[in-house]
Amino acid sequence: MTGARRATLLSIPVVFSLIVYWPGLWTWFQQDDFAWLGLHLELSKPSGWLHALLTPMAQGTIRLWSERLFFLVFHAVFGLDALPFRIAVFATLGLNLALVGDIAWRMTRSQAAMVLAPLVWAANPALGVPMSWTSSYNQILCVTFLAGALCCFLRYVETGSRRWYLAQWIVFVLGFGALELNVVYPGLALAWALCCARHRIVSTLPMFAVSGVYTLAHSWISPKPASGPYAMHWDLSMPETLGRYAITAFGGSRLAELPQAKEWATFGQASAWLLAGAVIGFLGWSLWRRRFRDSFGVLWFLTLIAPVVPLRDHFSDYYLTAPAVGLGLLAAGAWASATRVASRALVAAAACVYAGTSAPVGRAIAEFHYDRSRKVEDLVMGVQAAGRIHRGKTILLTGVGTDLFWSGVHDKPFRLLGLHDVWLAPGAEENIRAFPELGSVSDFVFPAGPALRITEKRQAVVYAAGGERLRNITGTWLALARLRWKPGPASRVDAGHPAFADQLGSGWYDLESGYRWMADRAVVWLGGPGQPGQQIHIKGFYPEEGLAGGPLRLTVRIEGIPAGNSAVEKPGAFEFRFALPPATVGRARLEVELELSRVFVDPKDGRRLGAAFGILEIR
Amino acid sequence: MRQLKRLVWAMALAGLVAGTGCRRQHPLTVETVEEEGPPLVSVVHVADPRATPQLLRGFYDIEHNSWRWTMGKFSVTLRPPAGAATKGATLQLNLTMPEPVISRLRSVTLSASIRGVALDPETYTKPGDHVYSRDVPAASLAAEAVTIDFALDKYLAAGAVEQRELGVIVTQAGLIPK
Repeated sequence: MTGARRATLLSIPVVFSLIVYWPGLWTWFQQDDFAWLGLHLELSKPSGWLHALLTPMAQGTIRLWSERLFFLVFHAVFGLDALPFRIAVFATLGLNLALVGDIAWRMTRSQAAMVLAPLVWAANPALGVPMSWTSSYNQILCVTFLAGALCCFLRYVETGSRRWYLAQWIVFVLGFGALELNVVYPGLALAWALCCARHRIVSTLPMFAVSGVYTLAHSWISPKPASGPYAMHWDLSMPETLGRYAITAFGGSRLAELPQAKEWATFGQASAWLLAGAVIGFLGWSLWRRRFRDSFGVLWFLTLIAPVVPLRDHFSDYYLTAPAVGLGLLAAGAWASATRVASRALVAAAACVYAGTSAPVGRAIAEFHYDRSRKVEDLVMGVQAAGRIHRGKTILLTGVGTDLFWSGVHDKPFRLLGLHDVWLAPGAEENIRAFPELGSVSDFVFPAGPALRITEKRQAVVYAAGGERLRNITGTWLALARLRWKPGPASRVDAGHPAFADQLGSGWYDLESGYRWMADRAVVWLGGPGQPGQQIHIKGFYPEEGLAGGPLRLTVRIEGIPAGNSAVEKPGAFEFRFALPPATVGRARLEVELELSRVFVDPKDGRRLGAAFGILEIR
Repeated sequence: MRQLKRLVWAMALAGLVAGTGCRRQHPLTVETVEEEGPPLVSVVHVADPRATPQLLRGFYDIEHNSWRWTMGKFSVTLRPPAGAATKGATLQLNLTMPEPVISRLRSVTLSASIRGVALDPETYTKPGDHVYSRDVPAASLAAEAVTIDFALDKYLAAGAVEQRELGVIVTQAGLIPK
């Protein structure tokens, strides 16, 4: 087969995937994207590069290529223009389709199978998320390394050339920078060797040592949690989870999620079970005929899904992205083993049913992310425009619904534009559904009293989100706020924000950028607790130079009554909480006194510094 | 850096234009900022983003530029119209009872209260557009603004049809002078 013919054939799945995931090309940023886009803010700090590239983040992962460098480099070049990011994802998918096609070709020597395998993979709805959400690029890039390494291994098996063996090693090792799932690659290579190249089994074994070392190192750096969604359950739930993934891999089971395809839901569900049955039947037939090569796709699927099967409480559809390649290879194997017209027609029909029930789901997922990201873009760009108009003013937002908050506010996109004074207006949280496992909505709400005060003084503006345009509704909001709230002391004070200055008593220095130093003793007034059982939460920062004389102690008194004390032993951020004296319940205003057992002298200006704050809150 | 950016763009765009044509599906939002809106109003069109602060709680985002879904309980703040403190006013809620809601719940009763005074509830058994209309006594409207709390006896719980808790569809809420 000529290179031109191969390229022409492989362009079919590329065009197909472009059509299916077209909205994904145009999605903007959302959710975790903003956390990764904010990585560059770390670079200006001491050891910033080291921290940005190598500190474990997001469940203790270090994905150098797919997250750290991808976002750092693209943001440095393109800023908040999402299209280049998306083009990179689509280009990587194109490469993956070619690699999967190459594996299928070497498996079957069939041109039709070479096209069928990447087509079937591209149709899988698991690709919907990574093809429309930039943070999940790791799933796509992981396949590049897995399929790339396997292609090298297949060439090594065919030619015996040590160059290909070495190339496989390089791709394999680099793959750890894409996704931890890369750890199972030796299993893939061994599976291939067991199926069709038993004389190469030994050559795969050293890679297991590398994966073992990686697993140990990863477990040491980020120990697995014993509870929560990422806890691993090595029990009888595993077969159930595996079965759930296996059925979900056939997109028909997810047709019910599409409002426009409700009437097809039963057909979709039935097709998923039928296709699963067909796969089992084909697997049995292949094993009976000892055509192990044709069923390699099953081993691919099982090998790659295995690491997430113990995650009983964290079922994610996009975890199927890499395993679903196995379905493509299985289809290729089935086509190659079907020698009669009738059996080929059966394989083609099964592939059509699969694609017909799967691709619409992937498309719908891409459209969902597209729509959501554009709302986020409207909000973020609107706030940027508002920030330009109202320089130096606090921006308060209303009309931010549940989805917009969790996809476009919670991950703090505004700091990427240099806007650090953007908040939800008080009351806006009442239209946002809480997900405590994701974070706190209240942390983003500006307290009512200070909000009213600074809006009255024209130091804040209020904008309504939710439509295509952000609208300035300061007048309407203020009229309503005057009726709802009184400009009394807030129960949450940000000592680093000028709006709260009148709640700070003696012992505070001037405001600095986002924080404020206290001396050895400082007073702050907070709105009292509305109900028993509430606590005072204190967040601050203590510098290394202040700890030269050993740990020091922070004592808190409320209305003159000792509430507690804690030792500050390490430099950096600290967070303490103390129970409130019962007598304080129902009081409109509480005087909170903070006292540090020691201060240090700032060598620059001779100030006697205690600690920097920070949030002080009663909740 | 600029040259690198141009090079990447040129390569990417060439591929895109050659393959499928380059078009942006989403129109650019040019006017992101508008002048300040009016103060509190007596009649709220829920699709008007300026009315957002008056939709106190229980409302989802605007859909199709015309309406919003509510939760099982929702509240609106309205400015009583001129003369309402002596003559009273009529509360009107324009709503749509969606077919999926009625088909699952058979009937839905909407009740309202204004400053603690309960208004007569109304039960809906058919899908379609409805107007919940009740006289409000003058004594309840002697304020610069009043909050009306609505409650449905039945609604679609979160997860029943979609992730959101779904009540009814509302287009407008208002206090109409007598």
